[in-house]
Amino acid sequence: MSDFGFHLAFWSLAAMTIGGASMIMVSRNLIHAVIWLVLSMLGIAGLYLTLSAEFIAVVQVLIYVGAISVLMLFAIMLTPRAERDNSQNIKTSAPAGLVVIMVMIATMWVAIDTDWGAVREAALTEQARLIGESLIKHYILPFEIGAVLLTAALVGAIALARQDDEDAAVHAASLQAELKGDGSVDPVDVVDPPLPSDGEVGS
Amino acid sequence: MTDLAGLSSVLGAWYDFRDLNNLQRLITEWIADWGPDWLASIITGVLGALGILGVIGPTLLILIWVERKVIARFQQRYGPNRVGPKGLLQPVADAVKLILKEQLAPRAADKLIFFLPPVLIFIPGVLIWGVLPFGPRMSVADLNVGVLFLLAVSGTAVLVIFMAGWSSNNKYALFGAMRAVAMSISYEVPMVLALLTLVVFSGTMSINGIVQWQQQEDVIFILLFPLSAIAFFFAASAELNRTPADISEAESEIVAGYHTEYSGMRFGLFYAVELGNTLVVSAFIATFFLGGWWLWGLDQWVPSWIILLAKTGAVYFLLIWTRGTLPRLRVDQLMGFCWKALVPATLLFVVVAFVERTLLISEGWDTTVALPIMAVFNIALSLGAVMLFARVARPAPLRRPARIRMAGSDIGGLRAAREVAARREAPQLQVGGD
Amino acid sequence: MIIGLEHYLVLGALLFCIGFFIALSKKNAVGVLIGVELMLNAVNLTLVAFSRFGSAEVALSTQVFVVFIIAVAAAEVAVGLALALVVYRNRQTISVDRTTLLKG
Repeated sequence: MSDFGFHLAFWSLAAMTIGGASMIMVSRNLIHAVIWLVLSMLGIAGLYLTLSAEFIAVVQVLIYVGAISVLMLFAIMLTPRAERDNSQNIKTSAPAGLVVIMVMIATMWVAIDTDWGAVREAALTEQARLIGESLIKHYILPFEIGAVLLTAALVGAIALARQDDEDAAVHAASLQAELKGDGSVDPVDVVDPPLPSDGEVGS
Repeated sequence: MTDLAGLSSVLGAWYDFRDLNNLQRLITEWIADWGPDWLASIITGVLGALGILGVIGPTLLILIWVERKVIARFQQRYGPNRVGPKGLLQPVADAVKLILKEQLAPRAADKLIFFLPPVLIFIPGVLIWGVLPFGPRMSVADLNVGVLFLLAVSGTAVLVIFMAGWSSNNKYALFGAMRAVAMSISYEVPMVLALLTLVVFSGTMSINGIVQWQQQEDVIFILLFPLSAIAFFFAASAELNRTPADISEAESEIVAGYHTEYSGMRFGLFYAVELGNTLVVSAFIATFFLGGWWLWGLDQWVPSWIILLAKTGAVYFLLIWTRGTLPRLRVDQLMGFCWKALVPATLLFVVVAFVERTLLISEGWDTTVALPIMAVFNIALSLGAVMLFARVARPAPLRRPARIRMAGSDIGGLRAAREVAARREAPQLQVGGD
Repeated sequence: MIIGLEHYLVLGALLFCIGFFIALSKKNAVGVLIGVELMLNAVNLTLVAFSRFGSAEVALSTQVFVVFIIAVAAAEVAVGLALALVVYRNRQTISVDRTTLLKG
């Protein structure tokens, strides 16, 4: 754990992760924020690999980068451009920053100062098989509850997000009314929306 | 089982690439005299990447020619035959054209996110080659979780497609990207379930382990799980956006989908990666379902990578065949096929694999007797499932084209327009204010 | 300097605090969800670090815990985004400042 290769890997991945997270704080475009989140998650997957947790690393990439990010981007796509502002709320940022700094100091003090009694044993070798076995043998109840939870989330998300055709048409028409600015709606525009004009650049 | 120890004792030299560890060991020993250890890892890593690129690069050039010629033959025409003898220099001409073209970017495109996708799409395209086993010890990285790695890396391509489509600031590019992303994430499910069948039955997630299981039991997985193999084949061709599933990038449908606004070498990178992905997916189908580098003992005379290349070529020809023959499906037909046909089929075979594996392991059935019986049963079950589906769950024949449900698809939008005007007159909701 | 448990714990704490700040200070509901995801990832990192450096009993159970956290985070993001969509449809906004109808 002390050779140059490991140091290179750890510090560059840590920089990638913290850098991505900081850019989420700073960026004002929501889609950029999601891209930086993807970068952070890839950095965390790399850190899992440095910890020899290969199964968790691959699962992290598969689920977070492959599915959750796409889900977030789809949801952002369904809201119009005016609502994609990711800037901070000034009134709450200052006290939030204070609280966060205090929490950071406290947790880092505890992390550095405690004698964890860390041993550097060899990492687990057959992680997928061991995790699978313990899920079925020891943790079967949380496993089943997790399955029910995921099914409930699936059904719930679909039930929440669906809309009938009429509501969708009205919704689309009101979107068109916003775009035209003066509130009037040309019925042709509802079926065949105009392209964004030059003034409305990509946010 | 071939005598693996005998193989590597014949030639342990650095040029014996039947065991890629030879070269790595030699470099490590050579560097140990005068340098630090990490330099050896870096050099072997770079050599591995260069090796992969050196294999893919020329292969892509040949593949472009093969694909165009074979499709032309299916369509009863000649294909490119002007540039060079029999059109063999056509890919070179294509590459030169793409390099020389001007790379435009739309004025209103998001600069950073427009620049990234051609670069980022290359990463999964090359990473996947690392886990492909060309021989018993001839994979660049023989991971314990190789199957999962394959699925995870192909999942990241979805995000890159979305970035490409969104940053172009082009309505049709965004449509194409949305279609491609929706299809990709939908067709990942049958792919995962088909591979899960194999993983459950062979007990290992490493790709070399699956091939060695097939070698050990003298059977190839397409005989044991035919419907899973066909489902994986179709799901993979949908992931690659090939006809019949190329609704998201076919020229007559949506200009060029998510890579409409990319010109010059940026499009060249997309094109190259798409072709490379087709080849690597053919190689993986050959590895998982057709036995990979093993062919009932033939790998003692013929090098294993030649066997794999031959099988890959056969699957690639099959992909070209389906492309040249089948008509294009609509996106709602594709999604319906995925969720209503492929997912139940693969799920059924996951259950069957679990049951059969339990019978083999816990009950201790003898594999030489039990496996042929299971193969016959599975084939019968596949045929029965397909015939049952055709009889019972067939989509009703439409008397007019199915209306694609889009928001605002009532005639002229009159009703919706009147509703909005009415709401403007008498506002019902107040937006919560400070 | 040997990279040990403390490095990973400090990294996890830093990531958690950044995620905490994002969740507290963003105006957009999806921005808040991004912060929550970052916090959950930081916790996962800490748990995997303990799996690697801890005693043999906890090595496996922490990794199982991480798998559960990933699954629950996925479910929570799905439902949270669906809620944001419904709020947008009814209120024409997903800014957390302007959806304060219950206040006062």
